[in-house]
Amino acid sequence: MMSLRIFSASLISAALLFNAGCSTFTQQQALQSNSVEQRISSLAALSKQSPVTRTLDIQEWRTSAGTKVLFMAAPELPMFDLRLTFAAGSSKDQQTYGLANLTSAMLDEGTGSLDAGQIAARFEDLGAEFSAGSYRDMAVVSLRSLSDAKLSSPALELFSQVAAQPSFPAASLARIKNQLLAGFEYDKQNPGKLASLALFEQLYGEHPYAHSSSGNAESVPGISRQQLQEFHRNYYTAGNAQIALVGDLSIAQAKAISEKVSARLPQGAAAAVTPEPVKTPASNTHIEFPSTQTHILLAQLSVKRGDPDYPALFLGNQILGGGGFGTRLMEEVREKRGLTYGIYSSLSPMQATGPFMINVQTRAQLSEATLQLVQDLLRDYLENGPTAAELADAKRESLGSFPLSAASNSAIVGQLAAIGFYDMPLSWMSDFMQDVQALTVEQVHAAFQRHLNPEQLVIVTAGPTVEQLPLPEPVDRSAASAPAGRQH
Amino acid sequence: MKKYLSYIVLFFSSTFIAPLMAQTTTTEFSLDNGLKVIVREDHRAPVVVSQLWYKVGSSYEKPGSTGLAHALEHMMFKGSSKLGPGESSRILRELGAEENAFTSDDYTAYYQVLARDRLAVALEMEADRLASLTLPEDEFLREIEVIKEERRMRTDDRPSGLAYERFKALAYPASGYHIPTIGWMHDLERMTIADLRDWHERWYAPNNATLVIVGDVQPDEVKTLVTRYFAKIPARPIPAVKQPLELAEPGQRSLTLYLKTQLPSLMMGFNVPSLSSTDKPTDVHALRLIGALLDGGSSSRLPAQLVRKQELVAGASAWYNAFARGDSLFVLSATPNVQKGKTLANVEAGLWQQLKQLQDTPPSTAELARVRAQVVAAEVYQQDSITSQATQIGTLETVGLSWRLQDTDLAALEAVTPADIQAAAKQFFTQSRATTLYVHPEEARP
Repeated sequence: MMSLRIFSASLISAALLFNAGCSTFTQQQALQSNSVEQRISSLAALSKQSPVTRTLDIQEWRTSAGTKVLFMAAPELPMFDLRLTFAAGSSKDQQTYGLANLTSAMLDEGTGSLDAGQIAARFEDLGAEFSAGSYRDMAVVSLRSLSDAKLSSPALELFSQVAAQPSFPAASLARIKNQLLAGFEYDKQNPGKLASLALFEQLYGEHPYAHSSSGNAESVPGISRQQLQEFHRNYYTAGNAQIALVGDLSIAQAKAISEKVSARLPQGAAAAVTPEPVKTPASNTHIEFPSTQTHILLAQLSVKRGDPDYPALFLGNQILGGGGFGTRLMEEVREKRGLTYGIYSSLSPMQATGPFMINVQTRAQLSEATLQLVQDLLRDYLENGPTAAELADAKRESLGSFPLSAASNSAIVGQLAAIGFYDMPLSWMSDFMQDVQALTVEQVHAAFQRHLNPEQLVIVTAGPTVEQLPLPEPVDRSAASAPAGRQH
Repeated sequence: MKKYLSYIVLFFSSTFIAPLMAQTTTTEFSLDNGLKVIVREDHRAPVVVSQLWYKVGSSYEKPGSTGLAHALEHMMFKGSSKLGPGESSRILRELGAEENAFTSDDYTAYYQVLARDRLAVALEMEADRLASLTLPEDEFLREIEVIKEERRMRTDDRPSGLAYERFKALAYPASGYHIPTIGWMHDLERMTIADLRDWHERWYAPNNATLVIVGDVQPDEVKTLVTRYFAKIPARPIPAVKQPLELAEPGQRSLTLYLKTQLPSLMMGFNVPSLSSTDKPTDVHALRLIGALLDGGSSSRLPAQLVRKQELVAGASAWYNAFARGDSLFVLSATPNVQKGKTLANVEAGLWQQLKQLQDTPPSTAELARVRAQVVAAEVYQQDSITSQATQIGTLETVGLSWRLQDTDLAALEAVTPADIQAAAKQFFTQSRATTLYVHPEEARP
């Protein structure tokens, strides 16, 4: 079974009327002059008011061990989600690339009294789901359980043991290393992955964000059990942890759970903040790869968490290439020219400055022309900024999508974990929306100019060297180009 | 680190776990033109998902015309009587909606997730492209290039995608399931706008679709809206559809590919029935439980035995789709632990040994109890997402089953005995039903 995405967008232009059962299409100039509200009656009837939003009653406290907790009761379903975050991502690897990731991957391999199979069997007997993951800034340890105490109490007990007292058995370490090495081999068949690895190295140089969170084939084999134990003792501490909790729990239950989970963790203070990267010069790197497509990445250091320009950059990026549908990049590169299946621009604010990135792949013969087109589009956007109409549309979109961001327990626990980890106020989500709604074209334009420079791009391409073709002519969606009729 | 995911979709009885479940109210009705509508209320948040499922997918295609179902899905965004090319996406984006579409062997489906007050807009535009799709040729000529890029990205440049496409082509000798959903490249090259106009006219009728709506809505208001936008679309005769049936025992098959990869891998598939095609549902439920015993979690047999104990594989999985329109496959795949010097031959022997164990020894009560606990919990967790609730309903309806199956499914799984599991393993895991795929790195080509 496969499931396939489609993205599509354009401004209203020509449209043809389909006469069902009839053999011709007639050009429908009337559509041109009619506003969209005249044609889509439900749109005209739609209230201009903002949609109703779910009220999130978030509680915050600190446990006696010093761990910050964010909790929201959601009694509708008999389940809860617990997410424990630590400032223990790969930015804390120092020279041992992959140490944070290996520590995370080894958590459920043994607790001294239980081995990996027993841990897994015990969670699964209870219908509980355990997972652990590691990124650049953070390590995340999660539990999803039914709220029935007969199931949740033993699941939480086991979760605490796994997070706080992993034994890192030597035999497991050798096996997990082999699995990671197989993963590195697997990455070599993926030109997009190779381009992304090279991009971060170019972008960050000596900074701790430069290396892959997984480490590499040279660094992983040498990592010792003792290094894992030290990393765990230093970073998986109560003072370096945050808890996000959402589900069918009373506040008293939530307090008892967070108290118990944090009390078991090693004592220790919050980790030092990741230093700021040095601005990188423009560069152009090509990776030769025998694929049919060329993967193209363009990036620059842009913004970190808490930057007051973030709302403006977020909104401006939605217009340029964020989210997929109806952006300038998607319209020009996919819709009008059929060059790619998808093109996106993204901002990744992290504790230290994260990248702005554009990502596209196209048939190798058109890679140079496509890269040029994308650079031209970016340059134009930075020079002239968005239009007033684009800004109004993007604001309306942000407002409309707001209820979707809190539609499930898993969405809410994700938001709470980010708010807790990056130390943002409880009102962050609504503050952000208010900031976005207040922005002007000039503010968005100015923020882009402050943070991005089209002459400072780090560019990486991965694909074969082949003879290049010019860009195809764009399809013209204006009225003049609409065919006058066709046989059916 | 990758965790093992459960690959099987398991449904079960609301009576069995009634105390655990939130109250769900599901309402079903049909319009006079044959459009079936299923509404599930979920009032946790002021949002709603609308999914329109058409009973047509790539298994309905003919040789030479592969990829049509998927290409038409792309063209559904290129305008209709009230909308210009790409305009519906722009409108939905401005409303803050998430929208997309997906095509498989058995279905083509379109969906929107949005704030509840915007549902009417999604329905009005969905109805318009069902009734009056424009299909302009100039847009098609661009879009087919996009689809070729999609194929290059997902299949031609991705060894695992390419391997699975070839594997399916061999594993289903008799039915349309051998057709790749995205289409063969040479068929994309010769597809025309006329093919797509014909496809839309043939299959896109209200009497060939199911509308599923889940979220913060009342059935009455939904009925009013659906009637307003869909009732005037006339029913049309739909071509007679034959269920995709396979040979029970096509014979032992194998395929060897040399691809741009560093790692060898193995895939084994057995021709088996689905819940729609079987006359013995117990066999199907037994196969579903075998899927869970092998790969239902980190403590299940493939990770416990092959990954951890024997260190034979870097990863392994088992997969079985019981909810297909026709006959199905039970698939195993694995990558050898090359760091330990393991080969494809070792892995193949190891997988067969796991199957033989199922044939020789019935599973213990404790092991089955663990599978059941996961099934019960997974059903509760699944309710956290309105999209996955809607997808479950839409899939069941579109493959010829009923969403009401959810109410009796756990009882059906409960009724499976250890002896049934053993019998199913004996009946289905045979060489005469097996297709084996060997993927080697290109450098290993002799």
